[in-house]
Amino acid sequence: MSSVALRELTKQYAGNAALSLDSVDLEVAHGEFVCLVGPSGCGKTTALRMIAGLESVTSGDIEIGDRVVNDLSPRDRDIALVFQSYALYPHMTVFDNMSFGLKLRKVPKDEIKAAVTDAARILDLELYLDRKPAQLSGGQRQRVALGRAIVRNPAAFLMDEPLSNLDAKLRVQTRAEIARLHHRLGATMIYVTHDQVEAMTMADRIAVINLGKLEQVGSPRELYDRPANQFVAGFIGSPSMNFVPMHVESIDGGIRVVSAGGDMDVILDDVDSAMIRSTGVSDVVLGIRPEHIDTQARTGRGLQLRASVDVIEFLGNDEHVHLSSGSHELVAIVDARTPLTIGDSLTLSASSEAIHLFHSETGVALK
Amino acid sequence: MERPSARGADVVTSVVAEGLKVAAPRAPRQHGWWRRNWVSLAFIAPGIIWLLAIVVYPTIATIRFSLYNESATKFVGLHNFASVFSTDTILTAFKNNVVWVLIFPFFVTFIGLMVAVLTERIRWATAFKAIIVMPIVFSTTASALVWRTIFDLDPHVGVVNAIEQTVSDWFSTPGAYPLNSAIGQTAVSLASFNATGATGGTLLSKSAVQPGGTVMMGLTRISSTTLQTLGAKTPVAPQTIAGGIAGLVWNDFSPSQTSNTTTIVSDEHGLPNLRLSLVNSTGSSVASTVTNSSGDFSFSHVAPGSYHVEIQASNFQTSFVGTFWLGSQSITPTSGLNQTAQSLLSVPLIDLAMIISYIWIWAGFAMVLIGAGLAALNREVLEAAEIDGATEWQTLRRVTIPMLAPVLTVVFVTMVINVLKVFDIILNMAPGSSQGPATTLALSIYNDGFTGGIHSGVASAIAVILFLLVVPVMYWNLRKIKGGSP
Amino acid sequence: MTIDAPVKESRVGGLAKRLHLSKSVVNVILALVAIFWLVPTISLLVISLRPESLFGVSGWWKVFTDPSQLTFGNYSTIFSQGFATGGVLDSLVTSLEITIPATLLVTGISSLAAYSLVFGSWRGRDWIFFGIVGLMVVPLQVALIPVVQLYREMGNLFGLNPYGTIPGVIIFHVAFGLPFGIFLMRNFLTGIPKDLLEAGRIEGAGEWKIFYRIVLPLALPAIASLAIFQFIWVWNDLLVALVFLGGNVHSPLTIFLYDQTRSLAANYWIVSTGAVVSIFVPLIVFFSFQRYFVRGVLAGAVK
Repeated sequence: MSSVALRELTKQYAGNAALSLDSVDLEVAHGEFVCLVGPSGCGKTTALRMIAGLESVTSGDIEIGDRVVNDLSPRDRDIALVFQSYALYPHMTVFDNMSFGLKLRKVPKDEIKAAVTDAARILDLELYLDRKPAQLSGGQRQRVALGRAIVRNPAAFLMDEPLSNLDAKLRVQTRAEIARLHHRLGATMIYVTHDQVEAMTMADRIAVINLGKLEQVGSPRELYDRPANQFVAGFIGSPSMNFVPMHVESIDGGIRVVSAGGDMDVILDDVDSAMIRSTGVSDVVLGIRPEHIDTQARTGRGLQLRASVDVIEFLGNDEHVHLSSGSHELVAIVDARTPLTIGDSLTLSASSEAIHLFHSETGVALK
Repeated sequence: MERPSARGADVVTSVVAEGLKVAAPRAPRQHGWWRRNWVSLAFIAPGIIWLLAIVVYPTIATIRFSLYNESATKFVGLHNFASVFSTDTILTAFKNNVVWVLIFPFFVTFIGLMVAVLTERIRWATAFKAIIVMPIVFSTTASALVWRTIFDLDPHVGVVNAIEQTVSDWFSTPGAYPLNSAIGQTAVSLASFNATGATGGTLLSKSAVQPGGTVMMGLTRISSTTLQTLGAKTPVAPQTIAGGIAGLVWNDFSPSQTSNTTTIVSDEHGLPNLRLSLVNSTGSSVASTVTNSSGDFSFSHVAPGSYHVEIQASNFQTSFVGTFWLGSQSITPTSGLNQTAQSLLSVPLIDLAMIISYIWIWAGFAMVLIGAGLAALNREVLEAAEIDGATEWQTLRRVTIPMLAPVLTVVFVTMVINVLKVFDIILNMAPGSSQGPATTLALSIYNDGFTGGIHSGVASAIAVILFLLVVPVMYWNLRKIKGGSP
Repeated sequence: MTIDAPVKESRVGGLAKRLHLSKSVVNVILALVAIFWLVPTISLLVISLRPESLFGVSGWWKVFTDPSQLTFGNYSTIFSQGFATGGVLDSLVTSLEITIPATLLVTGISSLAAYSLVFGSWRGRDWIFFGIVGLMVVPLQVALIPVVQLYREMGNLFGLNPYGTIPGVIIFHVAFGLPFGIFLMRNFLTGIPKDLLEAGRIEGAGEWKIFYRIVLPLALPAIASLAIFQFIWVWNDLLVALVFLGGNVHSPLTIFLYDQTRSLAANYWIVSTGAVVSIFVPLIVFFSFQRYFVRGVLAGAVK
């Protein structure tokens, strides 16, 4: 098990003006599970493939353990990659698929057998060792792909959206299995996905990437509570955060942030007010998560909004309520027992701590 | 009381009416089907009729012909088949087909594979592929003619023999007086006067000579053509040279005085361009020279001592004998065997030459098919192999090729079928003398059935055998292709 | 699209870079292979451009050191012969007389049959199709003798014996081109949505109109592949022509060339020019329709 580090890693494909990866810095500690998340095409798979050695480095360094591995071919990097499409050898049995790497390294037969049966037991594949991939289900194939990686005992596991080809139920199941695997093996894992739920549930830390740039790295809680910018704030959490453009006003004793129609306003406490005043911005974007809006009455600091109910989605314990506040639309999650009907006008609020403010141009988090 | 006839008429009428009710609806339905489909059926009719007449019926007829005698008048059962397996010419055809099947499909698939794999990495792949594929477009007849020239025995015509000659000359340049190995000539057999055979195919003067002396050596059995080509003149008796050795080598054969083998006669010729060495008493060569057009030579400034003159072996070096690629000499050692065994076991050299040309024609086909299969491979599996630690050779051998197995099989089997029917290339590439030894089944059908009139018995039997060989293979191949294609 | 099957761009580039066998070595190897492959064709061309007198005296490769040897003399001789019977140009015409009708007939009849098989509504279509496809395995050697006899029967019955005539050759070639042709066309036509035909029927078009105006234009790629494949196959055939046209005064190029090799004198000037002419036509067809040809080869693995 090793650490992996990316230092100012940059990738530009020939003929493209844009950078697929723009100076990404990331340190994955020994034994850590880090997720690379982002929308399609953001560069996360490119980064993973560069760590594996399947794509060349334009500039920057990749370190595995203490070595810079930029010029090493994949076979010399001691990493294992689980492909999105599993990439199993179709003409080999499950056993041969998993033992191929060891056979190439001339590991003695009995050691190979031990390693493979071990991995097969962990992954519940013992009954399938003689089958060929074509005879397996999607979930089983995925486990063989994992098994192939485990057997190699690599310095780091790289996984490229391994769950995206599975159906929803299997996905949830396998998510837990991978997490269990991680704890059992204590392995360094770098996991690429576009699904923030997977990232949140499995990772020690998450790296959010957008258009080749690293937006933020942090633990799931950090990313949830303190997103560094509007992109991360909107990417993490489901349903996603509500964003409303607001205007900053000075009132005696503090700062008031108001929406265009005046239906929403936020009163900031002294610390936050001072901070906002010091930045000198006059336009901000308010960010508030649906789960933080409720029908409690609050006075003083925090968010107040007057809205009418458009749609109510009943989800058993909660209701997702789609609201209109002036010209803005928001989603709030409230307790299902709250008496609401479509067309109701009501006042909702959120506490000061739950409010995020973002610079309207750069999207950087101010609060 | 009712009138019986009236009641009867009612019954009849009602029965008929019922009958009509049942009958009437059926007729329009049938009529409609025909009307709807007659165009469709008319579309396919020409094709069906054509196929029935020229493919289906003749196949059945051939089977029938194979069971009848040559003029198709008398039923002879399996007699024709028996004679097929006992006729040497046809057994030779079988053998040749076996040779083709054993060698050609493997090599053409192998070359197609290698080329397809390598072509993935170059920029000019399209141009390259066009070059390799092109020969398929030429008729096998034209290709056979081209390769016939290439394999021609004469080094002035055939590239292969020209290259062989260059290589052979580089190793052993032919001498001015090449021995005729076909009749077992050796240097010794040429010795006539004062010459004796020595080690390494050289000729040594019997008499020793000292500086200031002369030597004369005579050879025979030199062809007059050689003498003419070399511009041989009348020999001149050698003059002594102080401190040197002079001498003469001449063709000691006079048509007028055949028994005189010791002195020069006027109608004899000197031997020009002979390379000579002066050999001292210890046997080492101290000088060398070449005879002039009258056969005279001299060594000057010779140290005192006793010497012999040596005619170098290189003078007698046989000239280049080309390889008769288009010939029927067997690669396998079968010269001692009886006729039938030879038919079955000898492998004529021309088979190899033809197979090489056929590979030239068809490798492009293999390359295109395998290239398509290669492009359809899941790249990620190859990447997985690389990550697992495989070098690209290992990846090729243990992952790529097994994954290509279906395509490789289709190519291989298609080529087997192709080769079972091989005809054009033999007819055009084999010279008359090699036609028999190089014949194949398809050629036998043509020769037996169509030369000198039409004979249907044995030729049809061969055709049936060919059919039985080809059909299962093709059927299997078809299923593979249909199973694999989308 | 040309001879290459589609390949993902970035992946191929990446693969080439990572692999150890250096690109320059591969380029050299393949360049040598390409040269080896071109030598026979070039030799033929060169021989045809050298005077007969030089044949057997000096190798054709000497032209590289002495380009003055090249001359169009042989070609002007053929052309001056014009279309005289037994000459190269006469054979060229004969080849065309055989190949063009055969190709047109095969494509036409195959298209009609395939249309019937795909869009018809009569029962048993699938069985008939399997039967036709099954006929692809029959080697034509099997049918030669009976067809000769059949021709003779036709002569007895109708007074028209196709044996020894060009139509006789064409009939045979068409028959053995149909199984593959129908296979190819039928597979292509299954990809045409039936709605298009329905639309035509609603407009009031009859089957023939639908075939001619809707289906045929859409099927052009398949027709082109089939036509090219069939053209080259028939153009290059020797056996069928020998059997059915053996003694005829006009012979196609393949028989012409074959006859030359049988004669004792090594008329290499006429053999090589004839061969070049016979190669020239399919080469043009090949280069103009490269992509269709490859598609035909891929589909025609069976032939």
